[in-house]
Amino acid sequence: MQINKTKFTLVIMGPPYGSQSASSAFQFCKEAVENGHHIVGVFFYQHGVLNGNQLVSPTTDETNLPQHWAALAHKYKFPLEVCISAALRRGVVDQSEAQQLALTQFNLTTPFVLSGLGQLAELSAQCDRLVTF
Amino acid sequence: MPEKKVALVNRKASYGSTDGRESLDALLALATFNNSLSVFFIGDGIYQLIKNQLPRLILQKNYQPVFKLLDLYDVKNIYVCEDSLKRRNISENDLIIKVAMLSNKELKQHLAQQDQLLGF
Repeated sequence: MQINKTKFTLVIMGPPYGSQSASSAFQFCKEAVENGHHIVGVFFYQHGVLNGNQLVSPTTDETNLPQHWAALAHKYKFPLEVCISAALRRGVVDQSEAQQLALTQFNLTTPFVLSGLGQLAELSAQCDRLVTF
Repeated sequence: MPEKKVALVNRKASYGSTDGRESLDALLALATFNNSLSVFFIGDGIYQLIKNQLPRLILQKNYQPVFKLLDLYDVKNIYVCEDSLKRRNISENDLIIKVAMLSNKELKQHLAQQDQLLGF
């Protein structure tokens, strides 16, 4: 059976732990790509930027959402865009920002990338449906 | 393809969470790319627009001056839920910018017209 493919943009505003937002988003995203839909991109804003923090370390019998996002994005080749202004305020930093800000650490690794809110406009324009979590 | 109608919906008060401020940041960023934006203030969201706030007293930055930029960024569709104002005994004169008042029915109609909603 032919399915109608939809181009989705997901906007995640919730943290990887503490609210259901990002977990629901991940499950939605996984089902969508596994059923042949296209993810234009996932934009992490507000507390959602914490999903890009690779230092998140839940116990082994719990879900490590940052790792799950990274694996899914790697497998299906869609971008994970993290809002830079929201990220820096919350201590989520990539290597080049860490150097610029003279920080001794960074915690954002590929395939997450820091990008601006302009990218949200771009993702909004490119998709058939924008879903916020 | 016509430009998408995108709306930001604010339901939280100015401070206590950063939702109001981050919603406004997103609104200005989107406004540079999209001329079909709307912004709604519903429920406690209307508190964001009340004049004379002093957030420095609670270690927060006052983001209200940014609302004045909406005109410059050509964001004209600024809607406030009339019922929410009335319930809180707030008058239109208490608000820092000029807004359009919507009844509950009008609010539903306007929200239904949007292609995309971002809720804060």
